[in-house]
Amino acid sequence: MPKKPAVDPALKGVLQEFSRTYRRKRAAVLEGYDFEALRTRLAAVKDAALDRNAELLARFEERARAHGSVVLRARDGAEANAAILGICREHKIDALAKAKSMVSEETGLNAYLAAHGVTARETDLGEWIVQLASERPTHMVMPAIHMTRGDVAALFSRRLGREIPDDIPALVRIARGEMRKEIFAAQAGLTGANALIAESGAIMVVTNEGNGRLVTTVPPVHIVLASIEKVVPSTAEALDILRILPRNATGQSITSYVSFIAGPHTTAQYVILLDNHRSEMAADPVFRAALRCVKCSACLNVCPVYQLLGGEEYSHIYMGGIGTLFTAWIHGLDKSKALAKYCLRCHRCEGFCAAKIPIADLITALAERLNRETGKTPWKRLAFDGVMGRPKLQQAAFKAARTARKALGTKDGFARRLPAWMKKYDRFRALPAPAAMTFARRFEKERGTAGAAARPAKGAVTIYGGCLIEHFYPEIGLAAARVLARLGYEVKPGPDLCCGFPPSNAGYRQASGRAFKALLRAFEGEGPVVTLCPTCATMLARRGPEIDGSDEAKALAARIVPFGRFIAERELAAVAGRPTPAGLAVTYHDSCHHKNVLAAEKDSRRAIASALGAPVVEMDEPDACCGFAGTFCVDNPEISAGLLADKLAAIEKTGAGVVAMDCPGCLMQIRGGCRRSGLAVRAAHTAELLDEALTPSGL
Amino acid sequence: MDTIDRFIEKAKVAGAEVARVDAICAAAFIADFLKKNNLKTAIISPDLKARPPFDAAFAALGTGLAGGELWVDAGIVAADYGIAETGTLVHFDRSDDEKNAWTLPDVCLCVLDTVKIVPALEAIVPEISAHLGRTDIASPQVSLVTGPSRTADVENQLTIGVHGPARLIIVLA
Repeated sequence: MPKKPAVDPALKGVLQEFSRTYRRKRAAVLEGYDFEALRTRLAAVKDAALDRNAELLARFEERARAHGSVVLRARDGAEANAAILGICREHKIDALAKAKSMVSEETGLNAYLAAHGVTARETDLGEWIVQLASERPTHMVMPAIHMTRGDVAALFSRRLGREIPDDIPALVRIARGEMRKEIFAAQAGLTGANALIAESGAIMVVTNEGNGRLVTTVPPVHIVLASIEKVVPSTAEALDILRILPRNATGQSITSYVSFIAGPHTTAQYVILLDNHRSEMAADPVFRAALRCVKCSACLNVCPVYQLLGGEEYSHIYMGGIGTLFTAWIHGLDKSKALAKYCLRCHRCEGFCAAKIPIADLITALAERLNRETGKTPWKRLAFDGVMGRPKLQQAAFKAARTARKALGTKDGFARRLPAWMKKYDRFRALPAPAAMTFARRFEKERGTAGAAARPAKGAVTIYGGCLIEHFYPEIGLAAARVLARLGYEVKPGPDLCCGFPPSNAGYRQASGRAFKALLRAFEGEGPVVTLCPTCATMLARRGPEIDGSDEAKALAARIVPFGRFIAERELAAVAGRPTPAGLAVTYHDSCHHKNVLAAEKDSRRAIASALGAPVVEMDEPDACCGFAGTFCVDNPEISAGLLADKLAAIEKTGAGVVAMDCPGCLMQIRGGCRRSGLAVRAAHTAELLDEALTPSGL
Repeated sequence: MDTIDRFIEKAKVAGAEVARVDAICAAAFIADFLKKNNLKTAIISPDLKARPPFDAAFAALGTGLAGGELWVDAGIVAADYGIAETGTLVHFDRSDDEKNAWTLPDVCLCVLDTVKIVPALEAIVPEISAHLGRTDIASPQVSLVTGPSRTADVENQLTIGVHGPARLIIVLA
């Protein structure tokens, strides 16, 4: 287990506010632009440049030399640091002024130089403050985001030996004076590069403060430390990066300063091209996509876990989900293991990524690698390799759980007596007890009332419940069956087997493949397969076919329709129920896979609005993860509890009496959270609301 | 909206101030601005100083920081292009003195010819590439400057003038 994360409420507040402001500014600056087209273009540009990486680097090197620059190659961080120290020795440099360079954080340059008598001073205000405080940046674009103006004033007061007021413009003015002195005292300036332009041997540096310009013009020597994936063929591709980077990073149409620099301005320019395992990453067909990253930080800005933990906890050097991937390759698999558990796999970041990097799926691929190369977690090995991957054992395990209902003290569907080891999972949300009978069994038993259409005229529909519906919430399956039967479909339940998603997400690909295969074999018939769990739908429509690769898997994938979408696309008018009783407002929680993978969030809202005769009342951050996230809430109960608390607060603020959702996992989390916290709001599946709206005695 | 109006709007959004003057009045406008705003020390970029009527009007001004002093009140510069999409000034640098005149002063005054305003950066890709490819001058550089120097590093609050100018005045002539 990773060490217990410290959720600092003040930091959380700052990060959440930053995230809201960021999304507002970004949306405004992207108005009138086709973001999808921009990022599709950037992804293609970066992929093409990666294909030609060696050739482009050689071209860059040749052109930079023609300008009089010295180009050095560094295989790893140690070589890069040694090269920079060599330059310092050659030019008798004892003070270096730096613009922001994440790559220098990666190599640990400042500490290395300090140990060899060279002072490296940061000049980006945030980095300068963090360095003054002897801390590490906690955000790629906003390094000092974890500090308040009070913290900064106290720091300046200590350093300058006089009382400095906590007024931001005054603090910036003081820093301006101090940093300018340091820049004029430095004998060399060091920058990173946002792009290396092969055709001209120029670098592109993007800053807001102007420190990039100062450190490249005032000190006589300029050192560029850049990683090899930054190279692009020409100015046009550098502008493709510039077109999206500031807009996506800070919601600016462009930063205050962008410099294209070719060659040494006075004494010398050195360009150090750092590999540090990026060539290996580029050669990996799966992980190479991460090298498209332009370090805009959009993924961090919208990551629910990052906002809770901050970048100090959720980083090795690079932060968040994308940082976890770089950590695995650059700093070693062992360093990425604790970080990989922090990813919810909610896919929210993917909607914002400037380069269309499938971050969540790459974290899953990393989980597979971690299992393979660093060993498996015992309980997951038992649950996934041992049980879920073996259909017979899987069913036996659920059967055994059903027999424990009495021992669990089941009441109102909740387990009231749990074993001691489960207490930390039960503290912040009441856990449900297994249902007495599966959905499939109850459907058979209640066939007359549940699934039989008066006159089935519209063909057959299979309802696939998935584990949570089958074993915990069969009533949701029955509700969906009643709705579809009433609309004239011939309804039957699908196999009561696991789809294979949980093992897949935890990196147990083989067990997942076995579970999926067994389900695939058990599926019969034709016609739509309506799903009641977006995570199962993600498995059946997307990941299962990827793992399995068979024609049968593809054929099943084509049949998958989430319940909300089925209604919205075919039966919107037919579900129009009676007007909502006065005072009954319904709010809606976006389940991660439902919105971020299946893009079905509007469908469900439309279906509910039609059935209830009124639109849902939107909550703050409807798409913020509720904290369930499968095994995530077992690995990280504290974070899960934190995310749930925010979700419950957002629900309560709407004043709605019902919160609807499409995922039984979210339902488990939110219903249990309402129960535990005493919030008098009913959590319901969309299918339940539609069933009640269409039933004469309902609602 | 025409290209010039769009440029003005976007430059203002980025925090720049824009003054439209007749071309023959630009030098006088700048001299007057320096006086009115009590900007005592000023430097002028070498490319503008070589250009009439600025050569005569600012004959007394130096083109660089003389004795290694850290501060100067005003810098007077000229841009090669304006970008309407973002309100950006483009300068093809040929020397450090040019770059410093843009960056070191507290106030930067920039002359821009309205005929040099283009809709988007993509319109001048060949010019940028050609300048960066030059080997006849030391360190060809292309600078894009949009509004004053800014930071949001303390509490995400926008604050101007952290390293470069706190005021950027675009003199559209």
